[in-house]
Amino acid sequence: MKRRLFVASSLSALGLAGCGQVKTSLTNGPFRNVLLSTEKLNDAVIGTHGLAREYKDSDVDRDFRVNGLDTPSDATYTSLAHGDFHDYRLVVDGQVDRPQKLSLAELRAAGDRTQITRHDCVEGWSAIGKWRGVPLATVIAMAQPKPAARYCVFYCFDTDESGQNYYESLDLHQAAHPQTVLALDLNDKPLDLRHGAPVRMKIPTQLGYKSAKWVRRIELVADFKPIFGGTGGYWEDQGYEWYAGI
Amino acid sequence: MTADAHAGALPSDSSRAQGRHVYRHGVAARTAHWTWTLAILVLVMSGLQIFNAAPYLDASDKSNPAKRVLAFDAQNTAGGPVGYTIVFGHRIVTTHLLGYTDDGMGSESLRAFPAWLTLPGPQDLADGRRWHLFFAWVLFVAWAAYLISAALRGTLRELVMRPDDFRKLWPMPLYYLRLRKEPPPHGTYNPLQKLTYNVIVFVFFPLLILTGLTLSPAVDAAVPWLTALFGGRQFARLWHFVLMVLLLGYFATHLALVLTTGFWNNMRSMITGWFVLGKHDGVGP
Repeated sequence: MKRRLFVASSLSALGLAGCGQVKTSLTNGPFRNVLLSTEKLNDAVIGTHGLAREYKDSDVDRDFRVNGLDTPSDATYTSLAHGDFHDYRLVVDGQVDRPQKLSLAELRAAGDRTQITRHDCVEGWSAIGKWRGVPLATVIAMAQPKPAARYCVFYCFDTDESGQNYYESLDLHQAAHPQTVLALDLNDKPLDLRHGAPVRMKIPTQLGYKSAKWVRRIELVADFKPIFGGTGGYWEDQGYEWYAGI
Repeated sequence: MTADAHAGALPSDSSRAQGRHVYRHGVAARTAHWTWTLAILVLVMSGLQIFNAAPYLDASDKSNPAKRVLAFDAQNTAGGPVGYTIVFGHRIVTTHLLGYTDDGMGSESLRAFPAWLTLPGPQDLADGRRWHLFFAWVLFVAWAAYLISAALRGTLRELVMRPDDFRKLWPMPLYYLRLRKEPPPHGTYNPLQKLTYNVIVFVFFPLLILTGLTLSPAVDAAVPWLTALFGGRQFARLWHFVLMVLLLGYFATHLALVLTTGFWNNMRSMITGWFVLGKHDGVGP
């Protein structure tokens, strides 16, 4: 009886382990390219249309959930933070006719949009925040993109344990969406350090990982393949979709 | 399809000849059946993988712990780690089964659903999403293709409920429970089968696809009323999960009936199309 039980349980353990291996090899085998193809289909069918819902003041989460990489702790960022970001300059360069170096005052003067929108994390949770800042389209227009420019890449201050910088990218159609903003305020106060001070992206038509925090530079490029892992973003380099509309 | 299969709206004596071989399921229906089976298996397993990344469900638009319906959690206790399933605030210990489970890498950890139930096995939200979003398309295309093909070939008539079927509905459970000797006269599908398949094909599949789509921020922006219809984004996530559980309930019942009503005959008819009529079986609508 005991032996039988042992045989049965080791068989089922073998079966489960084997099943796990099948699942892993199916995920990483030749079928992977088929799985990855869905992303282009979703981008083509769903794309970026319409406006994300905007909420009332009373819907706002006063303690907006913090997620993502740790608040940057390197010397450059820390000294900027100590000076209340007085010396911060947002660099806009790459395939542009007029590269920019914008102070926070200049950014605030360039445009003003307030939106109370829902932030949908790829993990599944949602939170609502009141974001105020400059539409990205305004800032890109100031730099006058060259015809070759197709994407804008956001470089951030934060890094992971291996030293890899966070970065993200949008195509110029997504960048032109009126609710794609460079946020400077959250819930009527300048962004605090944990929420991406002094400047972060807010893109309510895509999942949260697109809304990069601690942005220091925007580069306009013809292609993002030469940059870091080549898939257009920090989480994209780890297997997540570049088109994060779904 | 044999000539007899179109013998008319009501089964005649000739269409109910016991032991006669009939070509019951066409290529389109059989392909749809097995494609749906595979797609649902992958969608459930990858869906549980995605669920594990935020193992709670709220009846609200944004996440709101005050409106939490279901959650999974694990805690360290003096007697070792304990896994919990929390239903409407009530804690149930479900260690090893739910909450604190197999992580697919040789040990256990805080994980709502165990690795053997998820796709991929170990925690991997990115690949879980890749599987889920691809097979969502497979299910949608197989569903639409089946409906179009069945409508064009006229076989949809066998499936769709008619007013007459509702009247014949109540004797079916009695027959299954052996409180009634014979089922009411019927065609290819008995009235209860028809109702069940109608609910799956015309209610569950569309609702599963629509609640899934409303989890997409881009779909929300394009079709905001759809999310509102389900009570908001987190509520849509809850509906999506509940529909999945109900679909699994259907699957269990379906499997039990396939096993108990002539397993080999049922399997053959869904593989080759050929079915041997039983005492009470009919053909046609």
